[in-house]
Amino acid sequence: MDTATHMLRTGRRGALFEIDMGFRDLRASFQRIGLAWSLAWHDVVSRYRGSILGPFWITLSMGLMVAGIGLLNARLFNASLHDFIPFVAMGIVFFGAISGIINEGCDTFVQASSMLSQTSLPMFTFVWRTVFRNAINLGHNLVIIVAVLIYFGYWRTMNLPVAVLGLLFLFVNAAWAGMLAAIASARFRDIPQIVISVMQFAIFMTPVFWQPSRLGANHAILEFNPFNHMLEAVRAPLMGEQAAPHTYAFLALMAVIGWTLTFAVFTRTRRRIVHYL
Amino acid sequence: MSHQVSISVTDLSIRFPVYGVDAKSLKKHLARVTVGGRLGSSLAGATEVTALSNVNLKLRAGDRLGLIGHNGSGKTTLLRALSGAYEPDEGTIDVHGRIAALLDLGLGIDPSATGYDNIRLRGRIAGLSSKEIDSRMDEIGDFTGLGPFLAMPVKTYSAGMQARLAFAAATAVEADVLLMDEWIAVGDADFQKLAHKRLLKLVERAGILVLASHDLDLLRLYCNKVMRLEGGTASKVTDIRKLEELLAA
Repeated sequence: MDTATHMLRTGRRGALFEIDMGFRDLRASFQRIGLAWSLAWHDVVSRYRGSILGPFWITLSMGLMVAGIGLLNARLFNASLHDFIPFVAMGIVFFGAISGIINEGCDTFVQASSMLSQTSLPMFTFVWRTVFRNAINLGHNLVIIVAVLIYFGYWRTMNLPVAVLGLLFLFVNAAWAGMLAAIASARFRDIPQIVISVMQFAIFMTPVFWQPSRLGANHAILEFNPFNHMLEAVRAPLMGEQAAPHTYAFLALMAVIGWTLTFAVFTRTRRRIVHYL
Repeated sequence: MSHQVSISVTDLSIRFPVYGVDAKSLKKHLARVTVGGRLGSSLAGATEVTALSNVNLKLRAGDRLGLIGHNGSGKTTLLRALSGAYEPDEGTIDVHGRIAALLDLGLGIDPSATGYDNIRLRGRIAGLSSKEIDSRMDEIGDFTGLGPFLAMPVKTYSAGMQARLAFAAATAVEADVLLMDEWIAVGDADFQKLAHKRLLKLVERAGILVLASHDLDLLRLYCNKVMRLEGGTASKVTDIRKLEELLAA
């Protein structure tokens, strides 16, 4: 709604008008996408300020977790390290990105309350900030993935472009869930606790630490689990396999429905979010 | 600039839904929905407070408006509405010109980051590119007068030093419309002099200043117009020389 030099705010109502204002907010956030990126970088840098390894603590702690769980579970499940370590590494890393966006989404607007209450910055800017922050974290963790793929030789068989497409699906879907969590958490302070519990539950119900083949194909826990599809779309191509076609259909449908729902909630609450805080 | 710098507020009303600690609990909310009843009329249990009602205001380039009124009279709400943060419930706010709001010293201030980093962050929020900030960094740094402290974390600063940093960073953006709450009185005498000069320069550049304060001397120093807020309603914009009459009214 605002160019650099003109700001208009009205008390006009009506669904169409609110939808229009919602889209303007979205557009404005893209025009200043660099700001979201700067804020995200600042978040990452300030979190690790003063530490020797800096953001590579992300990599180190993730690497430790992958090695520990990978070696232990491979033995428990009697699986070969060659199959299991890359599987677990990618599962933990990419699930970490999903749960990061959704869990930290709860804080998106609460954390930005001082900025939201005295500037006309677009609301979406802060949603992208959370998404970018997790993308930066993921970037640090990719070091592990690359190492594992090279060490176990998967780089020869992987299908990188398809994996990138899958990653895009993952981000698009995690982003709407994160934004929905952001709005709901601003209004109801119980939501973050619920979200954290759900995500904790989800990591055990999703093939992250265990291989789906152990459950038998097409089990309901796999088929109706959105996190499973999000992971499969990235993990399968990197392991030189193909994700099922219905995984992509599931993700595309989820993105459309999810964003429509989120945007509808946003247009209804946009005026009031700043008062929730 | 295609438009003259101006502020035009017509019939502005802002109501706050107040979500008490209770109302924020999902359990209460759900209980209310399932029990039925009070949902529609009371907007899910939120009480509304009218912060501003029917405020009209027109300012042109060169106007320096002082806002007076008791605590809770709506001064800050009006400033926040002018900054674009609060949406009107009724009426319109139309502002031509780049807005800089200095309402909260802590905006975009990360206490564990250095002064330089905070200037960068605040500049980014205000709409400058990284390059623009770098090219102005020396000038902003000089203006703060903080010297070597700029390389130290902001948490080591005194309140006055923080005020210097925030003021320097916020006014480094060539704003046309400056919105200020009264914290400007925080700095020491030297800083007040510097701030005074910078504010005058801004007004000379045909900008608009809106300053909320309880300090009448401060208002006389900076403003040429004044408006009194009382329980969310506003008086007419009056010449600063009639300040006494306005207060007596």
